[in-house]
Amino acid sequence: MALRAVRSMRSAACSLRAASAPAAPCLPRPWGLRAGAVRTLRTGSALLSVRKFTDKHEWITTENGIGTVGISNFAQEALGDVVYCSLPEVGTKLNKQEEFGALESVKAASELYSPLSGEVTEINEALAENPGLVNKSCYEDDTKYPVTLCGVGGGRGTPTVPGASFLIRSSSQ
Amino acid sequence: MLVPFSMKNCFQLLCNLKVPTAGFKNTVKSGLILQSISNDVYQNLAVEDWIHDHVNLEGKPVLFLWRNSPSVVIGRHQNPWQECNLNLMREEGIKLARRRSGGGTVYHDMGNINLTFFTTKKKYNRMENLKLVVRALNAIQPQLDVQATKRCDLLLDGQFKISGTASKIGRTTAYHHCTLLCSTNRTFLSSLLKSPYQGIKSNATASIPSVVKNLLEKDPTLTCEVLMNAIAAEYAAYHQIDNHINLINPTDETLFPGINNKAKELQTWEWIYGKTPKFSINTSFNVLYGQSYLEIKIVIDIKNGRIEICNIEAPDHWLPVEICDKLKAGFIGSKFCPIETTMLTSILHKTCPKDDELHSKWNILCEKIKGIM
Repeated sequence: MALRAVRSMRSAACSLRAASAPAAPCLPRPWGLRAGAVRTLRTGSALLSVRKFTDKHEWITTENGIGTVGISNFAQEALGDVVYCSLPEVGTKLNKQEEFGALESVKAASELYSPLSGEVTEINEALAENPGLVNKSCYEDDTKYPVTLCGVGGGRGTPTVPGASFLIRSSSQ
Repeated sequence: MLVPFSMKNCFQLLCNLKVPTAGFKNTVKSGLILQSISNDVYQNLAVEDWIHDHVNLEGKPVLFLWRNSPSVVIGRHQNPWQECNLNLMREEGIKLARRRSGGGTVYHDMGNINLTFFTTKKKYNRMENLKLVVRALNAIQPQLDVQATKRCDLLLDGQFKISGTASKIGRTTAYHHCTLLCSTNRTFLSSLLKSPYQGIKSNATASIPSVVKNLLEKDPTLTCEVLMNAIAAEYAAYHQIDNHINLINPTDETLFPGINNKAKELQTWEWIYGKTPKFSINTSFNVLYGQSYLEIKIVIDIKNGRIEICNIEAPDHWLPVEICDKLKAGFIGSKFCPIETTMLTSILHKTCPKDDELHSKWNILCEKIKGIM
């Protein structure tokens, strides 16, 4: 199936917001922000980090030079059941927009592109045993991120291409 | 009609050509059909990489036809030890390749046709491609019962798999490739794609074995040439382009600058074996000692194709613990590979040059360990 462009992803993300039930333990992914748009969102007393989306259906949040990358709900739906996550090793140096891993679903390997330059500081080990977690989106509270893939440290400026589907937490250098 | 691919064609057709608008949009259909003159699996996989990386496919999809000399091709995230009989492949000189797309393990020979459909990411549609193949088959043989399944396999007579699919999705482009069994050596296929290795625990994507059949067995008129021409004709009709199959040489750097490096990379140990997802082996074997057999247990963790953890449990009276530990230590960090193991054994011999009995035991152990590599 084809992965669609950012416009349809935004509408999918917005409709998710309307549908989400705050009381439920597992919430759908939060709204996404269109490429280039930046918004700060508050829910209750918790301050949610700005989440930016790329046109490749990935999102990234940055905090103190740390970029945490995840995959949009729209993207994980388009992919289907993820059966394998190929992520970089901790310590790998990544360049912005370079391919550094892949997600496999239904015999298709979808490449992952780094939204920023930096060094991988952390990866989500749970995904090795349970790649299907990428398809799930559970929050215990507003401050928890959806399933992350890895962390990328870099500090070479904030990414200009918003959104990333891998969790890459970066530490400033 | 086969047309040798000239330099002129290259610049016109491959190098980021934009479809001329000429006063109207999107009404000019375009596309390209290529066929490789090479039967080298690495060179042909390199063509896929090259097109994926360099060609602007907007409004200009590409069909690539290729066949390989006997090879086993595993999917991007697969474990070759789990998928095929590597010992048999080494004996028979069968190449092992890891492709960049997902999916399972396949056997290629000159009776197996490979089709790659290149499109933009937006136009990526595997079922559409498979329906095209089915139409092509029915155009030459209307009685043929071929159907695409939900898993993107093609089944003959509702039960025999004649085609498997895999794909790769990049930033802006995607490709879907599939096999088509015409006249493959099925006995060989079965024995090669059966792994003899026991005790493997892995998160790698596993293949789903299927009963296969050759189209030629169903209908002797369905040769590889007939099938390739039929598919090309259907592709040309669908995309409203000339039915010209352009022959390409995958080693031609003037047509494909940088392609030989891509082919080289696909042949490296680091790519073929080193990309295997982390796995462990927990097995045992018997060695003859006097009148009885001794059981030797072995547990190995392999990461990036190299031995990370190695535990060999041999009876103390046969091999003292310190000597066993020496062997284990030697394995740590080395490639999970019979050639490296042979080298390791020679190095170990040099550390105890006069001990023939020990050498003989080390040799026995190493031969057994090589047997699981």
